Amino acid sequence: MLLRSFAVQGSWNYRTLIGAGFAFALLPALRVIYRDRPDELQAALQRHLSIFNSHPYLVPMALGAVAVLEQTESPEVIDRFKSAVRGSLGSLGDRLVWAGWRPVCVLMALLLVALGSRWLTSIVFFLLVYNTGHVLLRVYALRAGTRYGKQLGEHLRSAPVERVQRNLQRSGAFLIGILIPLLASGRSLRVELPLWWFAIALLAVVVGARFGAAVRLPLVFALTLFTLVGFALEVIR
Amino acid sequence: MNWFVYLLFGGVVGLDATSFPQAMLSRPLVAATLAGLLLGNAEAGLYAGLVLELFSLVILPFGAARYPETGTAAAAAGGALALSGTASHGLAALLLAVVFGLAWEQVTGLTVVAARRVNERLVAGSDTESVLDIDQLERRHLLAIWIDFFRGAVIVSAGTVLGGLLLHALAPLIGLQQLLIAGALLTGGCAMLGATLPIFGNVRDNGIPLALGLVCGLLLILLR
Repeated sequence: MLLRSFAVQGSWNYRTLIGAGFAFALLPALRVIYRDRPDELQAALQRHLSIFNSHPYLVPMALGAVAVLEQTESPEVIDRFKSAVRGSLGSLGDRLVWAGWRPVCVLMALLLVALGSRWLTSIVFFLLVYNTGHVLLRVYALRAGTRYGKQLGEHLRSAPVERVQRNLQRSGAFLIGILIPLLASGRSLRVELPLWWFAIALLAVVVGARFGAAVRLPLVFALTLFTLVGFALEVIR
Repeated sequence: MNWFVYLLFGGVVGLDATSFPQAMLSRPLVAATLAGLLLGNAEAGLYAGLVLELFSLVILPFGAARYPETGTAAAAAGGALALSGTASHGLAALLLAVVFGLAWEQVTGLTVVAARRVNERLVAGSDTESVLDIDQLERRHLLAIWIDFFRGAVIVSAGTVLGGLLLHALAPLIGLQQLLIAGALLTGGCAMLGATLPIFGNVRDNGIPLALGLVCGLLLILLR
């Protein structure tokens, strides 16, 4: 199930989200539970093809818990359990991984590049560090799911999620702080920008912080316009 | 240069973004660098990946949100920069590669939506009464993964060739000073760093670590 969980999003679609992937990953457990009962196996499979979503790294938690519940509980209880954990596992993973672990690891890699490390060092460091956390999280998730089953919600409530999230947020802010002067100096592109460019860079940071992700599209347009101006200048020359 | 290997690489990048195994080979920094490496210039890929990664930090794959696919686009941009042989045009080529990458990710995003619609027909059916047996489920789920692999291979290779041609033709035509280009790219990068701060919570709450980081960064510059 753990290996199959890496492919749980393989058939992601807008109707059932990772429903089919969840059933795909759960199959090894279902085959054991419903050995010699093909009709019940098919019925169980059909139930799990319905809509489901979760952060991909935490889906082993749901898989483990459902594998336990399939042995003892009715289909209605299992469906209610899946509906209950769906939102929690999604938002937990989003907070800890997509908005935590991943950007922190990316920022560390960017820092290595900005400090002049070889490309191989930065890439290997990033992949090793990130995926150590990634795989450990999946393993922990599967163990927690099989261990706690229906009591998974209580276990998650007592887990130090807020503390981990807070530490990741502080780390991310710290790394952004280090990167700003390194980028503003130009060294990450092996050029030396004048000192006063730091003021422009700081202003850009403030604008970015103020508007968040909404600043991306205008920036893309600005860069495109800048490029077109470059063409125009050459034509005029 | 082995195009078959490059196609496989593109497939892996496309796959890694969502389908399997999400090990972040599809991050722009990684994908662009590896694309550059495969086409003979890892450093060119690294620089394209650096800037495009800064632009990707704020893209968060929450829920069923639709977003541009940055990994395959970055691979195409890094590969195009390496393939075009425009290193002599320095940062002008990098600027063009970044703009191309940012535009190409809209195309790659559309292919993701199309692939998901295909997946819907494969495994979700057109009505609630559809039934899949075990063999059908496993076959179709794996087929969906293969389709995503093929999508990645095509979109990265096509983007690399198109981008390479554009860079080769247009990079010499950019009449901007190197410092100005560097300033524009890095200022954009700084703005994106600022835009990333809210991801880590309230900016005021993170004032102390941010300030500490700034001091450390300044010290690093002064000491080097």
